[in-house]
Amino acid sequence: MKIVIRNTFDKAFTILTALSVIFISLVLLGILGPMIWRGSGAVIFKGTVEFRKMQMDLFERGNQDVLQNEIVETDTVRKTIFETINRFKKGIDTEALCDRVRDIHREFGQELRLKGITGQEYSRLRSITRDIRDKLEVTFESQDKKEITKNIEYVLQFKKDERFKATCAEELFQIALGFQKDIAKIDLNKRKQYEEDLIQIEQTLFGSGEIPGLLGPHPDKPLPALAMNRFGATRWDQSLKLLDKLLWIEEWVEKEPGKPLEKVRTSRKEKFAGTDLEPLFSSVQDNLEKILKPRLTIYWQFFIDDNFNSHYFGGVGPEILGTLLITFLGMLFAVPLGLISAAYLVECASDHFIFRMIRMCINTLAGVPSIVFGLFGLSFFVLFLFPLFGMPSKGCILAASMTLAILTLPVMIRASEEAIRTVPQTYKEASLALGASGFRTFVTVTLPAALPGILTGIILSLSRIAGETAPILFAGAVAMGPIPKSLFDPTRTLSYGSYDMAVGDRISMMVPHNQYGMVVTLVILVLCLNALAIGLRSRVFKRLKGH
Amino acid sequence: MPMTSVQKDTKSAATGLTMKVESKLALVEKKDSLNRHCAIIKAEGFSFYYGSKVGVKDITMDVNQCSVTAIIGPSGCGKSTFLRSMNRMNDLIPHTRAEGKLIVDNQDIYDKRVNLVNLRQQVGMVFQKPNPFPKSIFDNVAYGPRLQGTKKRSELQQIVEQSLDAAALWKEIKDDLKKSALALSGGQQQRLCIARALATKPRVLLMDEPCSALDPIATGRIEDLIEELKSTYTIVIVTHNMQQAARVSERAAFFCLGELIEYDLTSKIFGNPGKKQTEDYITGRFG
Amino acid sequence: MSQRKLNIALEPAAAKYRPLALTPSEDLKGYIASHLGRAILFFITCSSVLAVLLIFFFVIREAFGFLTHFSLLEFLTKTGWYPEAQEPKFGALALIAGSVYVTVASLFFSVPVGILAAVFLSDIVSFKIRGFVKPVIELLAAIPSVAYGFFAVLVLAPFMQKKLGFPTGTNALNASVILAVMALPTIISVAEDSISALGRELREASYSLGATRMETIFGVVIPAAHSGIIAAVVLGMMRAIGETMVVWMASGNASQIPHPWWDISQSVRTMTATIAGDMGETVKGSDHYSALFSVGVMLLIMTFFLNLVSEYFLTRAKKALGK
Repeated sequence: MKIVIRNTFDKAFTILTALSVIFISLVLLGILGPMIWRGSGAVIFKGTVEFRKMQMDLFERGNQDVLQNEIVETDTVRKTIFETINRFKKGIDTEALCDRVRDIHREFGQELRLKGITGQEYSRLRSITRDIRDKLEVTFESQDKKEITKNIEYVLQFKKDERFKATCAEELFQIALGFQKDIAKIDLNKRKQYEEDLIQIEQTLFGSGEIPGLLGPHPDKPLPALAMNRFGATRWDQSLKLLDKLLWIEEWVEKEPGKPLEKVRTSRKEKFAGTDLEPLFSSVQDNLEKILKPRLTIYWQFFIDDNFNSHYFGGVGPEILGTLLITFLGMLFAVPLGLISAAYLVECASDHFIFRMIRMCINTLAGVPSIVFGLFGLSFFVLFLFPLFGMPSKGCILAASMTLAILTLPVMIRASEEAIRTVPQTYKEASLALGASGFRTFVTVTLPAALPGILTGIILSLSRIAGETAPILFAGAVAMGPIPKSLFDPTRTLSYGSYDMAVGDRISMMVPHNQYGMVVTLVILVLCLNALAIGLRSRVFKRLKGH
Repeated sequence: MPMTSVQKDTKSAATGLTMKVESKLALVEKKDSLNRHCAIIKAEGFSFYYGSKVGVKDITMDVNQCSVTAIIGPSGCGKSTFLRSMNRMNDLIPHTRAEGKLIVDNQDIYDKRVNLVNLRQQVGMVFQKPNPFPKSIFDNVAYGPRLQGTKKRSELQQIVEQSLDAAALWKEIKDDLKKSALALSGGQQQRLCIARALATKPRVLLMDEPCSALDPIATGRIEDLIEELKSTYTIVIVTHNMQQAARVSERAAFFCLGELIEYDLTSKIFGNPGKKQTEDYITGRFG
Repeated sequence: MSQRKLNIALEPAAAKYRPLALTPSEDLKGYIASHLGRAILFFITCSSVLAVLLIFFFVIREAFGFLTHFSLLEFLTKTGWYPEAQEPKFGALALIAGSVYVTVASLFFSVPVGILAAVFLSDIVSFKIRGFVKPVIELLAAIPSVAYGFFAVLVLAPFMQKKLGFPTGTNALNASVILAVMALPTIISVAEDSISALGRELREASYSLGATRMETIFGVVIPAAHSGIIAAVVLGMMRAIGETMVVWMASGNASQIPHPWWDISQSVRTMTATIAGDMGETVKGSDHYSALFSVGVMLLIMTFFLNLVSEYFLTRAKKALGK
């Protein structure tokens, strides 16, 4: 082959290998970047007044006076919205009107009896109100404006009747008048549709049983039981999404027969053009900031708070606690075992068969899949060992940490062994020559010299255990539950919680910032530990080369 | 031809010098005969094996108290093996075996019941490459005394100062004993190792080519130190450097291929060796 | 030459304070102490042996019930996994095939990239840059598997479904890609160690004969390090086959063998995901429970075997260097 071709191949190869590394770095960025970006939204975001209300209510946090002022300010703006809706509703909500009219008729009867009017007078008066009632009911349902006008005029003629003055029947006439005014602006053919749309609009603004709304529950309605329904949009991005839902209707429409459905957006404002409700949309859109008062919030308590309603509100405090508990307890078991084993293997081992077997076992242990450790944790610790000691056989922190200790034992042994081997033999010789025993030499000279390497191994083991999920699935991790009170309680962890939120129910999908927040907390915890270990290792490197 | 005045002066000067040298030799011989009775280390038919390989074979020699004994010879002749046998440092190597007797202070140290801790504290060692611990200067020197049970700070302080002074290092580093020992220069580190060995108050100081990793100036200082120490300590020094052996030692042992070829006063070994092998080595015909 | 006076305190102490011979009691005490100490250390070290034995024993014990009641042949060769049916069927072939499928598929991605990267680190780049790149690889290894699974299910799956038009985002391809990323650090570090350990002489010989770098690498370096590279790949396989969370979240968990076999966009189910997924709803001690442990035993055997293979190749690599 010509030299030119060979050189070209060579250069291409170099580029190819460089590309592979660049590709790997890009993958790393591509995985970590979006996750950290979205996860940071759990801690740094624009929070609304609803968020501050929630914090005050659920966590008793914040300045009560300032909050009150904010609430008063936002309420004044919201009032106009409520009024607009109410006004519109009156023309639409015919059922309520019918009910009211029927009630009045009944009340009127009671009032007459109280006044002592009986007999013919009673029945005559009541027949009139019955008549009015029936006529009004028909009127409310009617879609023919001419018919409505005729009926209303018929009803109103009774207004002049003296006998109805100062009675509750007067309200009938007020209702009739009001109705006449209201429906003047409404296209009655569309009333049904308006009704449906209104329901959607109200849901978007005030929330339904399943999804919270923009402004929170209507002040006139009773407070819902679930915390997540008691407040409006707590985050600015959430509010913008809901605003979009308010302003636009999205429908799947078959534009061409036989082709897949396409999404079409129509402006709600146009739909309600000419009605009382039309100003609502621009009003909400333009005044959203005044209604919600968004402000940059740094919710660092995310790492401390417990969560409410399946992580809809709150933070990952208990998960962090659980992870830390299990991790450190596991290391408490693994470090002495690993260190002593490594010390023995370095100092006292020969080529004897038994040492080869020990090393083979350590290698085997390192290769066992994590889920098999989970099976082991379940079958040995929970179902066998605990009953043996009279403890309840359920998953708990103790079982989980012991399982993880065995998982990380090979890592500890390997790291410690390497660290101890790196200590120059001359230190040992010098110490022995001064009359120290082997044990003394190890403890006062070898171990301190190997300490940085051992520490690196400990930190790497820590970070590995913190991220493990499979081994503790059956031995101590739960997705929901109280904060553990003792080592014999199960606990929530960051790892299991992340899994749960990723595949979880619709609530998790509603709060992507919390989903990502939990997993990013775990990732950052692990990465910080690793960075610490890498930094330590380079310092060890420098130290071994001399100052 | 009659001698000129210069020639006369030279002759008389030469005679005087010869007399001085002769009297000095006599003094040394006298001291040596005295010391021979106080041999602190005695080897009687001592052999040492690495597995099946011979380290040293059938060594019989005495090391006198308060003197400097040099062990010389070509590479691989068993010098270090023999030296390290004296404080049983060879135990660190697996599959080794010793025969014969190696008596230190009237105790055969290859006996079954030997207090290794005490032995190594009494027979100190300085290694070829300086090996201070990665600790402070103070902790390095105080290591031995701490092993011996000295706990009080004031006592340790005193011992450290005295040891560093004896090793001619005190003046240089007395301001900062907390400094890491690894920060010292090569020569200073080796003197630190000597101080560290001296801190256990040994009777014998074994030195395994202590200057081979040092520059000439540092070497000179250590040789001066050896000269000072020999009045108090027994020093056995293994060296590749014949001139060094001639400079510092009173007696010299020539080893070759694991056997002790000749052991006599240094002046005799270097001036008028008895065995031909010795002469060949001294004159550089091999080695 | 100044004769400095040595402080008297430094003079050797009298011998009687430090006898060189041990008294019988001292001797005995020393003997007991050292041997007892060693024995204790030995037993502590055997904890890892104990752990391995316990793991094998207990996992096999719980699987025993299943293996005695149900046919092993059906377990290994049939694909119907219906543990909760009226007549439970435990055909694990689809599960085993699923594990193998995603593992092999992940190797397609990870082996080429991994070896190229290992070569880059060992031969092409300076020590300084290597110091920058190695932490990147280590960070990749440090990310917890649940985070990878999270990414797979919330980012990659919708991407596959919406942008690439797959019928479902959680499928074998998704799982394989993520497994490949997870196996990369293992493959790169072990392969790079083996390639670096070959030393300069080998390469210098090739260059001095006029070969280009690529020719040296392909003609001399990689063949010489082939044992180590194979070991690296096997270790990567072990990582992939033993991974649970990622496949549980991203593979779709459909207990089937893809049809046709090369359609990687279909969902599969692996052994690990089956154990993790089913165990929560299983009654302890039931047949389903034992069956899951049997799947665990299968996993143990497979990874143990892979471990032996990697050990074999690593030893061969070491021997090749010893020459």
